[in-house]
Amino acid sequence: MSRLKFSFLLFLILLWGSESTAEEEKEANEEFTEALLLRPLPDRKVLAHFHFQSSAPPTQTYGRHHYIFPKSIYQLVHKFHIREMELSFTQGRWNYERWGGFDPISSSNAKPPGVELWADFDVPQNQVDDSWKNLTHALSGLFCASINFLEHSTSYSATQWSFQSSSSGKLRYGTLPREAVCTENLTPWLKLLPCRDKAGLSSLMDRPSIYRGYYHSQRLHLKSDEFDTSKISSSGIVLEQTLTVVLQPNTFSGKKLQPSWSLSSLFGRKVTGKCSLSNSSNVYVQFQQNLVSEENESREKSEAQKNEILIHEGSHNNPLFALSHPPKRVIKEVENFQKEGSILYEYSVEDYDEYGPFELGLRWKVPVIWSCQQAPLHASRFLLGSGNERGAIAISMKSTRSNDIEIAGLDDEKACSLRVGIFQVVPWYVKVYYHTLEVFLDGESQATMDNIEKIHVSPSEDKVSPGVMEIVLRLPCSVKTAALTLEFDKGFLHIDEYPPDANQGFDIPSAVVHFADFVANMSFEDNLSKEIPILSKLQEKIPVRSYTEVLLVPLTTPDFSMPYNVITMTCTIFALYFGSLLNALRRRRGEEERLLKGKGAEKGPLSLLLSRLSAKLRGKQWEPPKPSSSSSKKSSVNYKLVAKVVLVAGIAIVWQFYYQ
Amino acid sequence: MGNISTPLLSCLILVLFFCSAIPSTAFSSSSSSSSTMHTNNWAVLVCTSRFWFNYRHMANTLSLYRTVKRLGIPDERIILMLADDMACNARNKYPAQVFNNENHRLNLYGDNVEVDYRGYEVTVENFMRVLTGRHETAVPRSKRLLSDEGSHILLYMTGHGGDEFLKFQDSEELQSHDLADAVKQMKEKRRFKELLIMVDTCQAATLFSQLQSPGVLAIGSSKKGENSYSHHLDSDVGVSVVDRFTFYTLAFFERLNMYDNASLNSLFNSYNPNMLLSTAYYRTDLYQRLLEEVPVTNFFGSVMETIHTDSPYRALSSINSRKSKIEMRLDQTSRGGQRILESSDVPQESTDSDTRDKQVSFPFTHTWNTILWRIENMKEMNYLVNYGLALMFPIVSFSTWLSR
Repeated sequence: MSRLKFSFLLFLILLWGSESTAEEEKEANEEFTEALLLRPLPDRKVLAHFHFQSSAPPTQTYGRHHYIFPKSIYQLVHKFHIREMELSFTQGRWNYERWGGFDPISSSNAKPPGVELWADFDVPQNQVDDSWKNLTHALSGLFCASINFLEHSTSYSATQWSFQSSSSGKLRYGTLPREAVCTENLTPWLKLLPCRDKAGLSSLMDRPSIYRGYYHSQRLHLKSDEFDTSKISSSGIVLEQTLTVVLQPNTFSGKKLQPSWSLSSLFGRKVTGKCSLSNSSNVYVQFQQNLVSEENESREKSEAQKNEILIHEGSHNNPLFALSHPPKRVIKEVENFQKEGSILYEYSVEDYDEYGPFELGLRWKVPVIWSCQQAPLHASRFLLGSGNERGAIAISMKSTRSNDIEIAGLDDEKACSLRVGIFQVVPWYVKVYYHTLEVFLDGESQATMDNIEKIHVSPSEDKVSPGVMEIVLRLPCSVKTAALTLEFDKGFLHIDEYPPDANQGFDIPSAVVHFADFVANMSFEDNLSKEIPILSKLQEKIPVRSYTEVLLVPLTTPDFSMPYNVITMTCTIFALYFGSLLNALRRRRGEEERLLKGKGAEKGPLSLLLSRLSAKLRGKQWEPPKPSSSSSKKSSVNYKLVAKVVLVAGIAIVWQFYYQ
Repeated sequence: MGNISTPLLSCLILVLFFCSAIPSTAFSSSSSSSSTMHTNNWAVLVCTSRFWFNYRHMANTLSLYRTVKRLGIPDERIILMLADDMACNARNKYPAQVFNNENHRLNLYGDNVEVDYRGYEVTVENFMRVLTGRHETAVPRSKRLLSDEGSHILLYMTGHGGDEFLKFQDSEELQSHDLADAVKQMKEKRRFKELLIMVDTCQAATLFSQLQSPGVLAIGSSKKGENSYSHHLDSDVGVSVVDRFTFYTLAFFERLNMYDNASLNSLFNSYNPNMLLSTAYYRTDLYQRLLEEVPVTNFFGSVMETIHTDSPYRALSSINSRKSKIEMRLDQTSRGGQRILESSDVPQESTDSDTRDKQVSFPFTHTWNTILWRIENMKEMNYLVNYGLALMFPIVSFSTWLSR
């Protein structure tokens, strides 16, 4: 018996040992994880956030052959020496007021419409532009999009501090606001996943239901430290792919109640198990903790409700909503002084297969209202002025209620300030005069540049480079509204440079507004969540960032119809005038009548013969005069017609007899 | 040319045949294309129109894309150029879907479309670059036409056109000279063995008038002075969804699979001018092979000949000696008669027009042949009998009225 016990112990030890060695090996292995985060939004919509992460160990230790990591991305990184890159395809606009502006998803996944690309290269300074150009072409081939339009120096710019804290000067940034985003962009993106859309969570991506959504943004983020010689332990290449969709559940559920939904009602498909190559495959449902039942609006009762959620968080029979499955785990966010936490319900897809697909449903029991957390300032951008000659760009920022409490606590100190960074690229044909920059605080123009902490401006150069402005403002905390205005003149393009639909107007890319002092991150209580990429991503400390609207500037468009019309009309008038004048002057009535009489008499056989001869000589077919032959032709035609009719009737009769 | 003793008509036909054959043989002797084997297939599919109301042009192109893919040309050998985004257009009621039929049975946009040139990229310049292969070095392989001297290329274009031009994006024009120059350059660079140009625009035939390179076959939806019309309107989508010429082309291909041996001739004969509301036009004088012997999959699919060799390194000699035999779909008699009709039509045309550009077009008499062929192929005879009976009444009444 003791021997048996001993052997069992030995076995356990061996097992432990083997597991630990396996884990050690895992560190140097390729990894792939998939996750889906679902979050009901206050305006009856649902946010779905797919997160896929694949990583390849450094080439020095692992070699060049991969079995999970996409080869095309690996080659891209190595060919162009990319240190970090982000490419996003977005359609629709993230509604910061309703869907939130302070959480990690809105800061990192709310993107400007169209295509946005930025890349940081690890090449000598003079080769950065060439690498950028080649990269845009490569990406355009890879993702079926016209990213190659970003190769012109007029469409990209170098940023100093907006996208990375450390400015290397090797970062390039470009956007294409009008790029269409559709299936052909998603398909190559899915092909980078080891299971494509055949298995795992990506099988939910039914194209019509995704593109029916209010907002969709597919993003690809790449980070590699392969070329860093300073670091001793490099982590290789990490490829993060996310797809963020805002969908409207099409289930009917009264006016007051939030719509209930399930995975199949949102996407029209079900998850049949996980992608077998992924390390983890989880679905999360996130609820804001300030979820309040609409009926009890008094302060105390909502407090009570809040407590109730906290109490019931373990079980799935919550007083407010019901989830169709019990969660595997409940993760609670640590509440801090400036934001209320949220709760994540974790589900694992691993236990499900095609016979019992994973079908998560959410049903609301009582009408609920809540609000999403807002960024300290809500930024919007618009145009001022009218006409085709000049105008002004204005960026206005309104304080949101959310930072009131925080400000109240710190208001006494003079040092309290809000740092806002703005980064704006304007194409060269909108000629911005940067000396006209004016800052308004609470509607009052600020004469001095006290509020500007630092500013970097590179004015546009015609047909060479766009105008770039990076500015960091330091605003007092008590500010209600802040605004920036810049005046501009509209330039003229060369006739070849107008796009085919120039009448639609020209787009000025979104400006980026970032709040360096505020970090949008969630912090969870248990350390276990560090191992799951989506959770560690949510815990990453990234500055709060938002994008403004794309501006549409109408420019003067070439119109050739007007000069053409003028020329045509004047010519017609001239022709009419001179024609009638000449006619009146040159016409002789008597002569004409005499000529007509002569023509009628003259038509003998001799003339016919002559015309025939001349026609032969000229090599043309002779045409007999028309009136003489027309009558005979007509009769023959009639005769033929009758014959044909009789023939057809005969055939039909014979046919009928034959087949009956 | 020693057949003077034979009847006059056949002599005339022969003379014409020889006349047309002389320039082409002269060309083929100068180029090596005739000796190389057909090894691969490429397709360049171009939709040149922008804006939502030109939905049908994109649907045309995508239907051809689907057909060509179904018949075996892989995505990396298809260059798809779409001038606008219709699938995810804000006006599209069916996001990420494009239909070419009212019944909405087939989503052309599917899950696996690879668009190579999109939106503003579809310009005459890029089109010419694709054909001639003169790209910048950075342009990725997926955007290049990497064909060689053994390639059969299908070039399909649709959009709005006119006399000797095709509009690109409503702002540029591709002229017939440009197309002819590009094709000539391709020939000189040995970028194709055979090229089939298929154009669905108004006055499509005029686009081919300047072509001179051998090995080029061209088919257009309409002759000079004719319009090409759309087939039907989808009231859900709100616009016309397909053009007539493409619709009947697809109707022909839907019946085929990869292994069918339907000949190009049967495709060309399937166009009925009464259904198209225009006269499909094809130009064969630059093409050496007989259309009856060329299966459609030579251009619209990718079906390679398999050559069995007993020992290595003897493949080449066996290719030359071997004659591929293609089963015919049509029976020999009807086609033979029709060829005579076609060629007897030629003298009338060519006597007054320039003989250098001898171009064969559909004569109206040849509809009778199509009807005959249809009758032969028709499965349900009862329909025909019923129709015949119904037709009888007006005919008989008419004839009695006439005789009175």
